[in-house]
Amino acid sequence: MLHRLPVSPGRIAAVLLPVLLLLALEQAVDSGAVRRALIPAPSDVWGELVYILQGGHLWAPLGKTLYLLAVAYGCASVLAIGLGLLMGRSRAVYNLFEPLVEVIRPLPKPALLPPLILFLGIGDTMKMTVVGLAVFFPVLINTVQGVRGVDPVLVETARTFGYSGGRIVSRVVLPAALPFIFTGLRIALGLGLILVVVAEMLAGTGGIGFLIVDMQRTFQVTSMYAWLVILAVLGFLLNLGFERLEARLMFWSRQSEGRA
Amino acid sequence: MQDGCTLALDGVTKSFSQGRPEEMMALADISLDVAAGEFLTVVGPSGCGKSTFLQIAAGLMEATGGAVALDGRPVDGPPGGLVYLFQQYTRSLLPWRTVIRNVEFAVEGRGRASRRERREFCMEFLEMVGLADFADRYPWQLSGGMQQRVAIARALAAEPRILLLDEPFSSVDALTRMELHDMILKLWEDRRFTALLVTHDVDEAVMLSDRIAVLSSRPSRIVETIETGLPRPRDRITTPELPRFLELRHYLLESLTKPKDHAA
Ligand SMILES: Nc1ncnc2c1ncn2[C@@H]1O[C@H](COP(=O)(O)OP(=O)(O)O)[C@@H](O)[C@H]1O
Ligand SMILES: [Mg+2]
Repeated sequence: MLHRLPVSPGRIAAVLLPVLLLLALEQAVDSGAVRRALIPAPSDVWGELVYILQGGHLWAPLGKTLYLLAVAYGCASVLAIGLGLLMGRSRAVYNLFEPLVEVIRPLPKPALLPPLILFLGIGDTMKMTVVGLAVFFPVLINTVQGVRGVDPVLVETARTFGYSGGRIVSRVVLPAALPFIFTGLRIALGLGLILVVVAEMLAGTGGIGFLIVDMQRTFQVTSMYAWLVILAVLGFLLNLGFERLEARLMFWSRQSEGRA
Repeated sequence: MQDGCTLALDGVTKSFSQGRPEEMMALADISLDVAAGEFLTVVGPSGCGKSTFLQIAAGLMEATGGAVALDGRPVDGPPGGLVYLFQQYTRSLLPWRTVIRNVEFAVEGRGRASRRERREFCMEFLEMVGLADFADRYPWQLSGGMQQRVAIARALAAEPRILLLDEPFSSVDALTRMELHDMILKLWEDRRFTALLVTHDVDEAVMLSDRIAVLSSRPSRIVETIETGLPRPRDRITTPELPRFLELRHYLLESLTKPKDHAA
């Protein structure tokens, strides 16, 4: 292990780079080279962030956005995994749904916002639907692929030990396909976050996406940037949390492949 | 524990891709009676259809023609009391389960027993194969031979009345193979299940079996069945030195390697 040094030079440089950029930006704004009305000084944005956090103004918009994301993500994932298991296990179900899936899947999901607003209005249902659609397909596709890739020897082993139908799926197929399913879930989480923000921007009442456009419309540019920073941190933390969870649950996956 | 059961194959045939241009006849008319408690081995060259034959016997694959019966009852799916030890043992273990939980997989179907009772029951089988100390490891942390012993422990934990073995010792080194032979013989003598082994390894066939059925190359049929008549318990050093062992070995090697002259 070469990378046992607590902090490698590359690491220091990687942390230093954004710090330097921020310092340069601060300098540029101070000297008037960049118009303060378009890009505020990083120190001002920091001040605004501190204000948002200390004043407790973070929780309501964050809660709203996370609530929409969590409900849509949860429901769509469960449905996608369920259908994916069926499609992966049964030729007939696969043939039935495959054309439909192939037509809807490549459609950029934000394009569905206008028709969805027609049908569902601009409330939470519409937002959850569009987020759900974005989440559904990557989870579905990865589940189908994972299920189809399950080693037939595992399934036949289970059969000779008297397992059948649902118990083969729950004890063998689902766990064996889980690494693939998790890949789909991770991709879907990123897409879900994008879609919830886009939906809120277009038809929001509260929520981080709504705040960002609202601040822009009312010329509260510093606040707008502060919420952008919050969004970036949120995306980063969600992804980090997910990777941690994946590494914990799928510890057997990379190891067993390494030996096969 | 119940005694071993009988297995009868009557005129079993198997064609892959039937009716299409690439149709391939793997099994041509296999008839075989395995007696209760017997150790019977089917030997044949690689690719002659041994795995196909065994999967049909296990109800894992449908035959094109003929019938399979276990204790007189027709087989149309994996029957209870039958356990199959796969050639690809690393692929038959569940990598997300520890060794002991893999063994428990064999008995979870039957379960009113508590978690603890189940674990204790399965630990006995891990002890039999000498892996009690590895109960909480994962299969991929073990060597090939150890993984195969896990698969054997799991097979026995299901308390089979008939055990089907598909070249289970072919991908471990020679010393490990001998140890596994000893172990399987001891367990078989202990527990009196019926054993049906397929292999291309003549020494293995002679060492383990009561009877040996010789399979021709594809489309395969059973050319002849030979009683080994070797005394038990078998010994890994002295048994292979017996004149009868050498005679069988000579005869089988000759008949498996001679050019095809058995016109169908
Ligand atoms: N599912 C299948 N479809 C088509 N051909 C198969 C299939 N399974 C096995 N075969 C063919 O049948 C023959 C016998 O295979 P197998 O039973 O695995 O032989 P063995 O176990 O004796 O090496 C081989 O030529 C193999 O390619
Ligand atoms: Mg084979």
